Amino acid sequence: MTIGPEIDARRAGAFPFVVAWIVILLTAGISAWTAFLGLGVWAPVIQFGIALFQTSLLFVLFMRLKGAPSLKWVCAVSGFFWLLFLYGLSMTDYANRQGWPPTQAAGRSQLESHQDDR
Amino acid sequence: MPADTELMPEMQYATLAQQGETAQFGMWVFLTQETIFFGALIFTYFLYRTTYPHEFAAAAKDAVLWCGTLNFVILVTSSLTMVLAINAAAQDVRPNRMVRWLIMTVVLGCLFLVVKGYEYYLDFQDKVVPVVAFEVKPGEGSAGVLFWVFYWVATGLHAIHLTIGIGLVLYMLLWRIRRGEISPAYYAPLEVVGIYWSFVDTVWLFLYPCIYLVGRS
Repeated sequence: MTIGPEIDARRAGAFPFVVAWIVILLTAGISAWTAFLGLGVWAPVIQFGIALFQTSLLFVLFMRLKGAPSLKWVCAVSGFFWLLFLYGLSMTDYANRQGWPPTQAAGRSQLESHQDDR
Repeated sequence: MPADTELMPEMQYATLAQQGETAQFGMWVFLTQETIFFGALIFTYFLYRTTYPHEFAAAAKDAVLWCGTLNFVILVTSSLTMVLAINAAAQDVRPNRMVRWLIMTVVLGCLFLVVKGYEYYLDFQDKVVPVVAFEVKPGEGSAGVLFWVFYWVATGLHAIHLTIGIGLVLYMLLWRIRRGEISPAYYAPLEVVGIYWSFVDTVWLFLYPCIYLVGRS
């Protein structure tokens, strides 16, 4: 195995994982704090950015991707790219639809007419 | 397996290390498709929220923030105890330290489900259960129900995954470790369970802002 010595289960102490745990909890606190600041569209951008950062910590340290054999990286990176394909191709459809995202009134009437149909 | 029996790889592997890496690779392949599974769910949420931002903000105010935050702390802590259990498995000949960390992991996993169950109880009281008990609140409009459909589907699927994780850790504790099958010479089964456990934790990192941090300002 070629896992980095600092997180290799056979040699690693608790220190790097405890630090990562503290960082994840602190950043979660920041994420929750931003929800109350009235940042508008920037709030979810910051919150999901923090979630991505926390995820990378979990993947690299807790799931021991750091220094892992390249086959594991192939899985992790392919998962990331499949998500990009999923989001990218879906958004090319939605972004080119007329009237999306709808205005509030249009969105509401669209849903209500759908419910009336049922 | 008695403790003094020499561990041998399965016949299709040359070494225990190769067997362990194959097991881990299998879990990573599985998690790749799980990424697509939960990714599609979160993409659906993104489309709903972009289409009905004000209704979503109004509906999400009824989500119980303290339950979601407490569960966040519990789950991240359980990932820490899990990784420390794997370290103990790889370093200690005696399993005591590993067993203690794994018991803590199971307790934290169960605690998550208890908090989640209490949150579901509060949700029932608040009438935010589509089809079963649902009341449209002021400002939600008819699109508010979409938020709660996402909430129940996403948290329900996550709870199922966590329950499976608890079952896997219990299997390790009550079967594999008791039989002496997890040791510094071969601890890959526990590592595989640990990878799965941290992935389930990862899903909550994204569900938390999706559900609990919307419409708070």
